[in-house]
This record gives sequence, structure tokens and C-alpha cells, in this order.
Amino acid sequence: MTAIPETVLAPEILCELRHVDKEFDQAHGPPLRVLQDISLAIRPNEVVALLGPSGSGKSTVLRILAGLTQPTRGEVLYHGEPLHGLSPGVGFVFQSFALYPWMTVLQNIEAMLEAQGLAREEVAERATRAVRVVGLAGFEEAYPRELSGGMKQRVGMARAFSLEPEMLFMDEPFSQVDALTAESLRAQVLDVWSPRDRNPKSIVMVSHDIKEVVYMADRIVVLDANPGRVRTVVEHGLPRPRDYRSPELLQLVDHLHDIITGMAMPDAAAEGVAAPRVFEPLPHAGAVEIEGLLEYLDARGGREDVFRIAADTDREYGRVITATNGAELLGFVETPHRTVVLSSEGARYVKASPAERKGLFREKLLELLLFEEIRQALERSETHRVDRDFVLELIALNLPNEDFERVFHTFVNWSRFGDLFSYDGKTRTVALH
Amino acid sequence: MTRRATQVFGSATAFLVRTRGNAWVDVALLAALGGAVFGLTRLAQEWTGALRPVFEIDLSPWALPGYAFLSLSRGLAAYALSLLFTLAYGYWAARDRVAEKVLIPALDILQSIPVLGFMPGLVLALVAAFPRSNTGLELASVIMIFTGQAWNMTFSFYHSLRSVPHDFQEVATLGRFGWWQRFRWVEMPSAAIGLVWNSMMSMAGGWFFLMVSEAFVLGDRSFQLPGLGSYMSVAVARGDRGAMVAAVAAMTLMIVALDQLFWRPVVVWAQKFRMDESGQAPEMRSWFLELLRGSRLVPWLARGARAAARRVERRRRKRRGAAVRPKASGRGLGVLSAAAFVGLVVLLAFGSLGLVRLLVRVPAAGWHGLGVASLLTLGRVLLATAIGTLWTVPVGLAIGLSPRLSRVLQPIVQVVASFPAPMLFPAVVALLAAAGMGLGWGSILLMLLGTQWYILFNVMAGAMSIPADLREAARIYRVGTWQRFRILYLPAVFPFLVTGWVTAAGGAWNASIVAEYVSFKGRELSADGLGSRISTAAARGDFPLLAAAIVVMAVMVVLFNRLVWRRLHHVAEERFSLAR
Repeated sequence: MTAIPETVLAPEILCELRHVDKEFDQAHGPPLRVLQDISLAIRPNEVVALLGPSGSGKSTVLRILAGLTQPTRGEVLYHGEPLHGLSPGVGFVFQSFALYPWMTVLQNIEAMLEAQGLAREEVAERATRAVRVVGLAGFEEAYPRELSGGMKQRVGMARAFSLEPEMLFMDEPFSQVDALTAESLRAQVLDVWSPRDRNPKSIVMVSHDIKEVVYMADRIVVLDANPGRVRTVVEHGLPRPRDYRSPELLQLVDHLHDIITGMAMPDAAAEGVAAPRVFEPLPHAGAVEIEGLLEYLDARGGREDVFRIAADTDREYGRVITATNGAELLGFVETPHRTVVLSSEGARYVKASPAERKGLFREKLLELLLFEEIRQALERSETHRVDRDFVLELIALNLPNEDFERVFHTFVNWSRFGDLFSYDGKTRTVALH
Repeated sequence: MTRRATQVFGSATAFLVRTRGNAWVDVALLAALGGAVFGLTRLAQEWTGALRPVFEIDLSPWALPGYAFLSLSRGLAAYALSLLFTLAYGYWAARDRVAEKVLIPALDILQSIPVLGFMPGLVLALVAAFPRSNTGLELASVIMIFTGQAWNMTFSFYHSLRSVPHDFQEVATLGRFGWWQRFRWVEMPSAAIGLVWNSMMSMAGGWFFLMVSEAFVLGDRSFQLPGLGSYMSVAVARGDRGAMVAAVAAMTLMIVALDQLFWRPVVVWAQKFRMDESGQAPEMRSWFLELLRGSRLVPWLARGARAAARRVERRRRKRRGAAVRPKASGRGLGVLSAAAFVGLVVLLAFGSLGLVRLLVRVPAAGWHGLGVASLLTLGRVLLATAIGTLWTVPVGLAIGLSPRLSRVLQPIVQVVASFPAPMLFPAVVALLAAAGMGLGWGSILLMLLGTQWYILFNVMAGAMSIPADLREAARIYRVGTWQRFRILYLPAVFPFLVTGWVTAAGGAWNASIVAEYVSFKGRELSADGLGSRISTAAARGDFPLLAAAIVVMAVMVVLFNRLVWRRLHHVAEERFSLAR
């Protein structure tokens, strides 16, 4: 074994979160907790990825580290000191590019440098260098609206690089860029990062793309949703440049798949003592999506790997898992490990006529406690109507950790699809259909 | 070989052509500059001239350009004032969460006070402040026009500032922009397009008040300022048809010139601040802007200004030390804002106290009369809006649905909409008198004259924005004309129609003051209503009754906005918006 470099023995920490909670106020009801007890340290010379489905608050983590948002509880440190206001060493790349449409490519970059109070000559020199690094030479005078998504993100990267920041933060940087362009942008980012003696020292990126994360990062922080928590940290030292087809990389992808499904699609506990019936949290999946999933499975022999479905349908895996959870809640699928299997009920549903489908869906809905309670309330009510607020309160009371507006949205969507209850947006009442 | 030759000569001649073009533009610009300087000295003479309550108006057509210039200067001065007010007030309201809670409702109330109701008090106060010179009267006229221009601009600016995309704000924060950089690079550009369109509307609305504020009677005193409005009123008084036509023509010419030489270039230039990312927005052009872009003088001046600004910036930074410290300036602004806020609250408190003192002097019978009168005027306003809707919806749809018609007619409608209706009142009143129609019904026609264009304009805009696929679907399924109206056209233009109604009804309330009480050939014609009560109270110098009438009108407008227009607007957004 060769001598271990000193930096690894006593790793200096660039920035750090300690037991951070973040809550957002809601219009009514208790504040919604989006992050819970997040602790995370960024060390020099590493690429860290935050991986999680939407709703896991991963962008919020990035914004707290950058000092754009303040945590509700917990500490934010920068080089060991508490961070006040904006972090001094951060370049930020946005998912939406966030380029000022009224400025040319060059002006967009120069404005940042000018605001730092640099001399005119240095502003021009640094901007030109940044433009050249990302391969934008020749596009200096173009306006953002004339550029493709990939070119726009190059401007976003040049803008971040031009400041020569200690850390580069990227919020889903390639999710709005076509796949091939994203490939070249990933390589470019790593090129700029790799010289040890130059900034940026470290990269923190947010992503929901497992392959991207494995290709880019040395350390992968897997987040769980509602509220966002750190589930696991996967650290690996795969050598660079990495090959997507190398067995090590594929194995890592597989490992991550297991972690995610173990967290988002837990295998049901063995049925023993009848647990008291509780309100089931409704996953935020549209009924049509669920039906689509059943059709998809039916056309593929009734079973498929959940990540395969995501890749096939070109959707974020989080969305597919949500739809799967919805289908499972209704009893249309089972999810042994990471496979989604059409249940006998599901198979019956796919074969049924449109009218029978409605009936089956309705039947399944009434097996859920929320729908059952609402039905009883409607039967008790003289007008056979209940207010939206009544339903919201029922949800908030029984599912305190959920975003109750969203649960209500799903409730209405499923009720309408199953032809069970109708909802009148004007009077804001739910009625028996 | 030949190709090379043409290339060489081609570029050489192009060079010649360009220089020649440039020279002409620059000569013209210099001439215009000279003209402006001359005009400003004339203006200074006019303002500082001795106060002449009744001005001798020269009805010869040769005097018209001079009068048009004076009127234009008032309109532009008022606009400059409105712009300053908008930037300061809007920025303040958007940045200071506490002040916002007072500023925005205050703006809402200011907006609903009839502009013409401000006039008597304003004129008397300012004339008293400048007893010897014309300054007081000129200022009164400018402020009058200002009150007709400023509010919608301020609202637009405030809303734009509040809705700057979150990402753009974050970039500014990460880049540590100072407040000035944030304003110049992020906030002002985001607000530019809305501000430009509202400025155009305000300027058009301003002409209405210009016409009224140049010639009027207060108590036993009559006031006159030299300008197009007073020219017209003298022409009417003397029954000089030729002069009347000349005045209308001069007004039209002025509106068209201002549109072509000022607004059009500004609108085209502002297109660079578009937020939408698609590059296929219909390209807008302005011949005047293209001409200016051919000039050498303009870029030379712009470069100079930019270099000077940079020097100032550098010197400032040197003085403050190299690092930018936004915190310190932020605190300074905070103190300033708090002080201004306290000042404003005190001012509002004093204002309301004074108002209450005036109002308690109004007898109960006076209030009762105002109540009845306000219902009469409400009826007229609604009728005018209804009649305006009846003819503008089919016509606006016909124009808006045909690209050819709308290309030709849109600029014309725009000019007609900007044309100040009070200029035409004498002619219409003469027609009414000939037809034997009293002002009770006739005033509806007068209101209509000024306000129907807002509805027409909005319906046209709505018709143009109906997506092609919805129209194609109606054609493919052979939907009949009436049904097409019912299921497609009316719902699609409904949101636009509501906007048009709000503007038109607001304008009609204002117009009632001049429409229900008209001087014609030395006689006063009037019809009972809130507007004529305001006019007669002003003419008699009965300030308590005037204040009461204005308050009643403001309350009516606010109530109507809250109870009717806001609900309709909500329905339009929820059910008929094509944006989603």
C-alpha cells in the first residue's frame, strides 16, 4: 500500500450542513417539512451527487449550501465557520439555465464579473476565456433565445466558470438538454474540474438520473422523499475516465436501484395480526397514468423491472415509482423486489370493458379508508354534498406529514376517474355521483 | 475576375451609400436638436410670462404648429413626471413589504378618483402659489394630465417587479449585484415591455385631459392656456368651421407623428426584453428606428455616455474601497424608505382630515341629491358600455379574424382611440341640438365617443389571439356562424372584453364630468348626474359639494370594480383563458 495523501487523513471540509431541517409555510395548516435532519460535508477534490425523486428537497439542499435559502433549524458551515448570507465560493448552474434574455451570451457572463467589481480589462479577458473553455467562441453576440438548450447550458456553465469558484453547484443541469449534448457537457464539466490545482475544487450536483450520477460522482447521497432525508451515502472510487459499460459501473447502478426500490417500494410486511386500518397516503399519480402502467405491463407479459419501465417510457424513475405505488395501493400490481407484476385484479382490469373498468376502479377506491369515510359522510349529509375544506381537514388530520393539497388533488382525480364522486370547482363541493 | 471586381466595387459603393445616408440622418438629427432648443426657449418664455387669464388665441392656421408644440410639451412633461413617479413609487412598493401594504391600496383609490375632479382645487392652489406668472396654470395642466397617466403605469411596473422570475433573482443574488446593478440588469429589463405599452396607453389617455385642462371656467374666472385645446374652444365659440377642422387635423397629425417618431421605435427597441424564449414572435419594424440606427451621431453619443458612466462607477468604487458592500447601501435605503413611509402616512392622515372637514359641511339633502345623481350616471355609464360592446364585438371580430383587415385597420383604430373625444363634443352637441335630443341621452353618446375604442381595441386583440387550430376545428365540423359566436368567438374574446370594459367604464365615469355639462355657443347644457354635479359645483366654487361628489364617484367606481369587474375578471381567468 502506498502512502496515503495527507488530505485524505485529515480532510479539510469546504462546506457542511449539520442536522438541517427546512420547513415551508403553507396557506393553511401546519408548515410542510421538506428536509429533515440533513447532515452533509463537501470535501475538496470530489464530485458529490444528490440523488432523489422529486419532492426529496434535493434542490433545497443545494440552495441552503449556497446560502440562497436559510434552514429552519441546524447549522451551515463554510470552511468551519458559520455561514452568514451567501457562500463566497460558489458557482451555480441552473436547471432552467436562468440566462437574461435581454443580454447577449457575452453580456450574460460579463454582468457577473462586473458585479464583482473587477476592472474592465479583466472582465473582458475572463469572459472570453470562459466562452472559449465551453466552446462558445463565435456565439458571443447571440441572444439566448437563438440558442438550443445545450448551447444555453454552455452559457450557464461559462458564467459559473468565469468566476473561478471554489465549488461548482449544479441543479439538474442536463435534464433539459438532449441526451447526446448532455453527454458532451458532462465530459466538459469533468475536464474543467479535474486539474487539482485549479478551481473549482469540488462539484455538488443534483440529479435524478442514476447513470449520470454514477458516471460523474465519487460520492452519491441518496435522498428519501416527504420529508427529504439522507437514506444512504454510496462512496466509491471508480477510476476516471469511466465507461458506462464497465462491469463495476453497471454493478453500482444495480446497487443504487436496489437502494431506491427498497426505500420507495418496500416489500409488504408479512400479514399477521390485523393492523388497525389507517388512512393510506395517496401517491400523486394520475389515474390515467396508473391505467397506462397496467396496459404497459400487460403488453410485456405482465412483469417488468421498474427502472426498465422508466427508461422505456423516458420518464424520471420517481414518477414511475409513484405510479407503481398508486397501482399497488389499488391492488392492481405487486412489487416483489424491483419488479412490477400485474396482479390477477390488474389482469382482470386490463381485459374488462370500459364500463366494467369503471366499476372495478370504483370498487378498489372504496377499499381505501379515505374514500370510504367520504362516502359515509356524503350519505349522512342531507344535500349529499361535502365541502372541499371538510375533505382537506380529514386528510390533514390523518396524514399530517403529507402535502394535503396534493393528496386532495389525487383524491379528486381518482374519484372522477372511477365515476365515484364528482367535484365542482366553482362551489368547491364533493358530491356522490 | 469579374466577381472580384463587383465585390470590390460593391463594397466600395455600399460604403458611399452608407456615408451619404448617415450624413443625412445626422444633419436631420442636428436640425431637430436645434428645433428642440428653440422650442424650449419659447416654452420658458411661455411659462414665465405674465399670467393672462384669457389668452388671445390666433385662429390663423399658421399659428397651429406653435399651439400644437405647446400642447405636446405639456403632454410630454406630464409623461416625464408620470415616469418618474412610476419608477419611484413602483420600486418602493415592490421592495418594502411594510410600505407596500399602504402604497398599493392608496394607488387603487387614487386610480378611481375622477381626474377631472382634481382640477378646481389644483388650479386655484397653484395659481395662488404663482400669482404673477403663467407657471401655476401650466403646472396645473401638467399635473392634471399626470393624474390621468400615472396610475396604470405604476401598477404595471409594480407587478412586473413582483413577478421577476425566481431564477433571475437567484442569479443576481449569487452574482452579488448591488441594488443599481439589479435594477439595471434584471428589474428594469423585466418591466420594460409592460411599461412601454402602458406608457403608450397613458399618453393616449392624457390627450383627453389636455383638451379639457387648457380651457375652462371656475366660478367667475375663466382660465386659458395657449394650445390646441384652447384653439378649438375659441374656434367653436366663434363658429369658425375651418379652424375647427384645422385643429382636428393638427391633433391627428400630432398623434400620428408621436406614434411614428417616438412610440413605434421604442416598442420595437423594447422587443429585446421579451421573456418568451421562442424566436418566432412576429417581427416588428419601425422605419424611424432603422433610420436612427443608420446614424453615426447616436452611437457616438451612446459610447461617450457609457464611458462616462463607467468612469463614475470606477471612481465611486475607489472611494468606497474595492469590495462591493451591498449591506451598507441597503441599510441607507431602509432608513430612507422608513422616513418616506412616515411622511406619506402623515400626509394621508392630514388629507383625510381636511376631506372630512369639508364633507361635514354638506347638508343631508345634498347627499341625497348626489345619491340619485350617481344612479343616473351609473345607468349612463352602463348603457354606454353596453352600446359600445354591441357594435364593437362583431366589428372587432371581423377585423381581428382577418389578417389583411387588421393589418390595415389596427394603426387607424389606434390613432382614433388616442384622439381626445372632448375636441369633437361641440360638433356632436350641434348635431344633437339639430336632432332635438337632450343631453340626458346625448351625454351617453358623448361618453361613447371616447370609450368605445378601448372595447374595440381589446376585442380585436382577442380575436387575433384565437389559436388557428380552434378556428380550423370549427370549420371542419361545419359549425354555423351563430354557434361559432357562441362556442368559440365570445368565450375566446371574453377575457379581453373584460379588460376593455374595465377601461371603458373607468373612462366613461371620467367623461361624465364633461359630457353631462357642456358649454355650447355661450349656453350651458346639462343633464342631471354625478358628472354635472361635479362640474356645476366646480363652476360655482362650492367646494364641500364638489368634494362630496368626487368621493361619491370614487366610491361608486371602487365598489363597481370590486363587485362586478373583479368577479368577471376572475371568471374570465378561470374559465375562458386560452393561456393554459
